[in-house]
Amino acid sequence: MESIKSKKITAVWIITILTLFVVSIVLGILMRLNQGGVIEQTPVAFYVNMTTHGLTMIGIWFVAGMMAVNFLLQRYVKTSHTVNILALVFTVVGVLMLWTSTFIGKFHAGWTFLYPLPFKIMWAKWATPVFYLALVVLVVGWLIWCLSLIAQILKKYSISQTFAWQHFKKNPKVETPPFILISMITLVGITTCLIAAVVLVALTAAEYFSKGAFVNDALLMKNLTYFFGHTIANEMLYLGLAVIYELFSEISGRPKWKTTWYVAIAWNFTLVFILTAFFHHLYMDFVQPEGLQIVGQLASYFASLPAAGVTVFSIFIAVYRTKINWSLPNLLFFIGTAGWVIGGLGAVIDATISNNVVLHNTLWVPAHFHTYNAMGNVLFSLGFFYWFATLDTEKIYSGKGTKLILSLLLIGGIGFLLAFYIAGADSIPRRYSNYPPELAAGIPLATMGAAFATIYLIGILIFFFNISKGCLKILSSPSS
Amino acid sequence: MQQNSILLLFLILAALATITFLYIYLSSKNVELVKQGMENPLKKRFWFLLILFVVLSIFASVTIPKSPYYLFADETPAKVVHVSAMQFAFIMSENAIDPKRPSGQAIEVPANGLVEFRVTSLDVNHGFAIYNPEERLITQTQAMPGYVNRLRYKFSEPGTYKIFCLEYCGMAHQGMRASFIVK
Repeated sequence: MESIKSKKITAVWIITILTLFVVSIVLGILMRLNQGGVIEQTPVAFYVNMTTHGLTMIGIWFVAGMMAVNFLLQRYVKTSHTVNILALVFTVVGVLMLWTSTFIGKFHAGWTFLYPLPFKIMWAKWATPVFYLALVVLVVGWLIWCLSLIAQILKKYSISQTFAWQHFKKNPKVETPPFILISMITLVGITTCLIAAVVLVALTAAEYFSKGAFVNDALLMKNLTYFFGHTIANEMLYLGLAVIYELFSEISGRPKWKTTWYVAIAWNFTLVFILTAFFHHLYMDFVQPEGLQIVGQLASYFASLPAAGVTVFSIFIAVYRTKINWSLPNLLFFIGTAGWVIGGLGAVIDATISNNVVLHNTLWVPAHFHTYNAMGNVLFSLGFFYWFATLDTEKIYSGKGTKLILSLLLIGGIGFLLAFYIAGADSIPRRYSNYPPELAAGIPLATMGAAFATIYLIGILIFFFNISKGCLKILSSPSS
Repeated sequence: MQQNSILLLFLILAALATITFLYIYLSSKNVELVKQGMENPLKKRFWFLLILFVVLSIFASVTIPKSPYYLFADETPAKVVHVSAMQFAFIMSENAIDPKRPSGQAIEVPANGLVEFRVTSLDVNHGFAIYNPEERLITQTQAMPGYVNRLRYKFSEPGTYKIFCLEYCGMAHQGMRASFIVK
C-alpha cells in the first residue's frame, strides 16, 4: 500500500504541477489577449510565451499522469521512491533551465523547435544549448522513471502477462489487472518516443559541434520531432486513462473492472496505432513517402476503435442505469472522457488528408488538442488530485464548490475552445503573434478565447485552493 | 466552402457525443431497483465497434483518393511556378531560382489551367498556404530545406491570391507573405 513518504512526494508533485499550470494558463491568456489587440507585446515576447506555454504544458501533464500511475502502481508492485524523487528533481531543474533559455535568453523556436530553426540564432547565443540541455535533463529523468517502473512491473509479471496475451485464450490462469496492462502499454510507448528524442538531440548536437561538416536531413528530423512530440502528448492521455480504469469504479462504489480478451486485444492494438499516428503531422510534406501518409490516416482513424469501443463503452456500461456515488473526482473522469471523445472527433476530422489541406496549421489544430487536454486529460488528473487530497479525510469527496468548479471549467473551457474551432474553420493560422488585416476575423475570436480561458483559470484556482489544504496536511504529517 | 461543412460536421458529432454522455449520466441518477445496468453489453459493444469500423472504413476509402498527392497527377501543368521560401519572404519565379542569388518576379497564372508550384526553402521550414480573394485557405504545402514539394491546383476564380507562411519560422513569421494574380 501507499506509504507516507510516497504520499508526501505525490503531494509535492501536485502542488508543483498546479503552480506551473496556473503560470502556463496565464501565458496562454496573454497570447490570446495580444492576438486580440487588448494588450501589446512584441512578437518576440509572444513567441517566447508560446514556446514556454507549449513545452511546460506538455511536460506537466505528462508528469501528472506518470506520478499518478506511480502512486497507484504501488497497489500491485513495489516502486522506487528514489527514482520518484529523482524524476521530480530532473523535472523541476529541466523546467527552470527551459524557462531560463526562453524568458532570459529569449529562445523562441516553438515547442516543435523544428530543425534547423534552433540554429538560426534570433536570441542569446547561449540560449540554444541551454534549451537542448534542458531537454536532455527532462528526457533522461523521464526515461529513468519509465524504465524503473517497467522493471518493477516485470519483477512480478512476465512480459506476456504485462501485455495480457494470456487473455487471448479462453480461461486464462493468471489475470493481468487492467491497470498493469495499460500502464505497461503506455510506458513502452513513452520509452520508445523518449528514445526518438535522444536520437533527435544527438543528431542536433552532432551538427552543432561539427562546425558545418555535418548537416542533418530536414525530413528525417521532422519525422523524429513528431515521433517524440506527438507520441508523448498522446501517451499522457493514456496515463490518465490508466488512472480511470483503476479509480472510476472504486470511487463510484462499483465492482472493479477486469481484463477480458477484448480489453487485451484493444490495448495491444492501441500501442501500434499510437506509434504510427504521428505521420499525420507530415501530410503537407509531399516528399514524404505516400505509403506513410496513408498509414498516418489509417492509424489516426483506427486508434479510435479500441478507445471508443472498449474504454468509453466500458464507462457507459459502468454508468448506464446503475447507482453511482457521483462526486467531484468521478464527475471529472466522466466529463473528461466526454472531452476526450469530442477532441478525438476534431482530431479524426483533421487527420483526414483531404481536410488537413485546409486545416493544417490553422487554429483548428490547437482547437482539437486543447479539447482533449484542457477538457480531457487535465480533468482526469484533477480527478486523481482530488481523490488523493481527500484520501485520509472523513468527508471523502464531499468537497465544497463541486458545482461551482465544474460550471467554471465547463463554461470557460467550451467558450475558449469554440473560439479556436470557429477561427480554425475561418482559415486563421495558428502561431501568429498578430493578425494581418486580411485575417482580422481572428482578432475578436482571440479576445473571446482569452475571456473564457480566464473563467477556466478561476475554476482551476478554486480547485487548487480546495485541495491545497489536503496536500499541505499530508506534507506536515509525521514521516513514520 | 469545405471548412463550413467541416465545422458543421464537427458540431453535429460533438452535440451527439454530448447528448449520449448526458443521457448515460442522467440514467444513473434515476435508477429503478428492478431493472439495472445494460442488457447484453458484449453484444452491444460488438455492434458499436462494427458500425464504427464500417463508418471509418467508408470515410477512409472516400477521402484518401481525394488527397492532394493524387490530384491532377496525370495531367501536364499549363504553368510551373518556382518558389523559394526564406526568413521572412517568398521568392517566386517562372524560372528555376539560384539559391546563391535568389531573385523573383511578379507571378500571373491562367484561370482554369493547371498550375504547379515547386516549393522549397533556403533556410528553415516554412509553410506555403494559398488564400483565395475571400481570404479562405484553399490549399497548401510545406517549404522544407533540401526538398521540393510539388503542389498542383486549378484556380477557377480570377483575382489576387495571397500566400501566408503557415509553419512557424521565427520572430517575423506572422508577416511572411506574398501574392499572385489569376487571370
